[in-house]
Amino acid sequence: MSLNLSRPRMLAFSLPALLAILPFLGACFYIFRFSISGEKGVIDGFSIQPYLDLMTPFFGRSVWVTFKLAFISSVIVMFLAVPLAFLLATLKSVMARRILTVSILLPMILNLLVQAYGWIILLGPTGVLNTSLREFGIIDRPLFLLFNETGVLLGLIQTSLPLAVFPIVSSVRAISREHLEAASSLGAGHWRTFYDVTLPLLRPGLVGAGSIIFAFNASAFAIPLLLGGRRVQMMGVAIRDMISPLFNWSGAAAAGMILIALTLGVLLFANWLLNRTSDKKGA
Amino acid sequence: MTTQNTHLHIKGVTKNFGDMRALNDIDLKVERGSFVCLLGPSGCGKTTLLRIIAGFEKANSGQLLLDGVDIAQMPPHKRGFGMVFQSLALFPHMSVADNIAYGLKLRGVKAKQRRDRVDELLNVIELPSIADRPVSALSGGQRQRVAIARALAIQPKLFLLDEPLSALDAKLRDNMQIELRQLQRKFGVTTVLVTHDQTEAMMLADDLVVMKDGEIRQSGSPATVYNQPVDMFVADFLGAANIIKAKSSSAGNISLLGVETHRKTNLSPGLEFDVAVRAEHIDLLATDPTTVHPTGTVEFMRNLGPSIEWIIAVRGEKLRVRSNASNPSNLEVGQNVDVSINADTLSVFRNE
Repeated sequence: MSLNLSRPRMLAFSLPALLAILPFLGACFYIFRFSISGEKGVIDGFSIQPYLDLMTPFFGRSVWVTFKLAFISSVIVMFLAVPLAFLLATLKSVMARRILTVSILLPMILNLLVQAYGWIILLGPTGVLNTSLREFGIIDRPLFLLFNETGVLLGLIQTSLPLAVFPIVSSVRAISREHLEAASSLGAGHWRTFYDVTLPLLRPGLVGAGSIIFAFNASAFAIPLLLGGRRVQMMGVAIRDMISPLFNWSGAAAAGMILIALTLGVLLFANWLLNRTSDKKGA
Repeated sequence: MTTQNTHLHIKGVTKNFGDMRALNDIDLKVERGSFVCLLGPSGCGKTTLLRIIAGFEKANSGQLLLDGVDIAQMPPHKRGFGMVFQSLALFPHMSVADNIAYGLKLRGVKAKQRRDRVDELLNVIELPSIADRPVSALSGGQRQRVAIARALAIQPKLFLLDEPLSALDAKLRDNMQIELRQLQRKFGVTTVLVTHDQTEAMMLADDLVVMKDGEIRQSGSPATVYNQPVDMFVADFLGAANIIKAKSSSAGNISLLGVETHRKTNLSPGLEFDVAVRAEHIDLLATDPTTVHPTGTVEFMRNLGPSIEWIIAVRGEKLRVRSNASNPSNLEVGQNVDVSINADTLSVFRNE
């Protein structure tokens, strides 16, 4: 520890943050308790019925769509974020760096609803994109980019991109020019250097960013609701529907537990993958 | 100096960074198997020159002839030069063995042979048991040796080093200099090392190249450059030199500190110029009014262990003197002492 604080002192300074986390842990426990409740509307008795009730093709599809969209959006966001991170890390002009940083961060300042309505204006059947494509005679009938998985995917990618860039930037900064030149002097071309040196050194940042994006998008609610309508039943939407029209609190709680388990499982797997590959040895 | 022995010929290399001229028309021949040190203050272009040799920078003009073939346009990964970087740049995600074997792996050497070569090199650098350690577990000196082993593993045509020892403490640096020299002799590899440390350059180099402001001021054997510097900069940069005002006497001799020496000069009488005298070439003698030697006062002294240094104020000059076999060792600050300079060791420079 560079701060050179004693353990009790560090604990004392962390106390406010720990106190803030505590209610969340309490809520998690509350949801868990609700998910094994015997009644649908109140916590009463014990039963695994809420979980058994979820074993339907409908909910199975919801889990699959959630996993699929979160995974695809994570992969695409990584491909978008890496070049952006390199650009940001290598920009020399302070002004250019600031402008780019603010542009990347801007979506985080805007409310998700505003961003979603932005996409609707852009992609809707009478939206900017369709109108212009029709005017140029490229298409006859509007493209359906909203209220399907494409629309949700676009929304997820756009809203989660800022979260991915900055963890990767710090990884990029940790790679020195001399590492790349060393590989080059030993006989590695550009791609080989990227694969053998850049990528492994980026790996912690990539796994960190990927985990954040996956967790963020798997639990997304506003974007799938607004851009997917009721047609793209990601788990967030499915859980809300169980609560709001159906008043199935225990079912919603069970679905929430499954969402947490799914996300945790993926994060643990990513972490395991990271440890396994970075421990690899042998000349 | 026959052409057959020239391994690398740098011919008229010029490099600009924007408006700044980093290298100006550099010409340098590197003999096969020799150890060349590029020496100069920071910003003199020595690192840029090394990076041009390695291929990391492209010269704006000029040729880089390796065995007579111009490699100026060849990308660095095709050149097959081993390089040791200032930061060492060991790959942190690889073990020691993987680092050393990386260049061999790229050359398609089989795993078994790679392992043998790694073991062989680890024995050469006297670290036989660290093959499977992560790089982060090594000490500074160990990293240094691993970086050298990694560069030598590919049996490089040229061995390039960019201030590789500057991060080490003095004692370790001294040991590494000896080891580096021995390794270079053992492998017989043509070597170019960049340094700003003149003692390091003196001890390592077969050929010393002193640079300043993007130009080569002097190149030659360390002894030549040290004893016959071509200009004041070289004299001053290579170890403690005193720059003293001198005059040519009517008899055509050099007159120094008001005393005419026996050293002849062809400069016109009465002309003022500068001479350089090495600190160890000045003798201190007990004051004796019957001699012509100027008398000075000891202003400062420091004991460096193997030698003693004094600063002597004499006739308006402050001379730095280092103890030699004939200097008395019992001088004290404030004491008067006669100064005698062996005129044969002077380097004479015209004022510009």
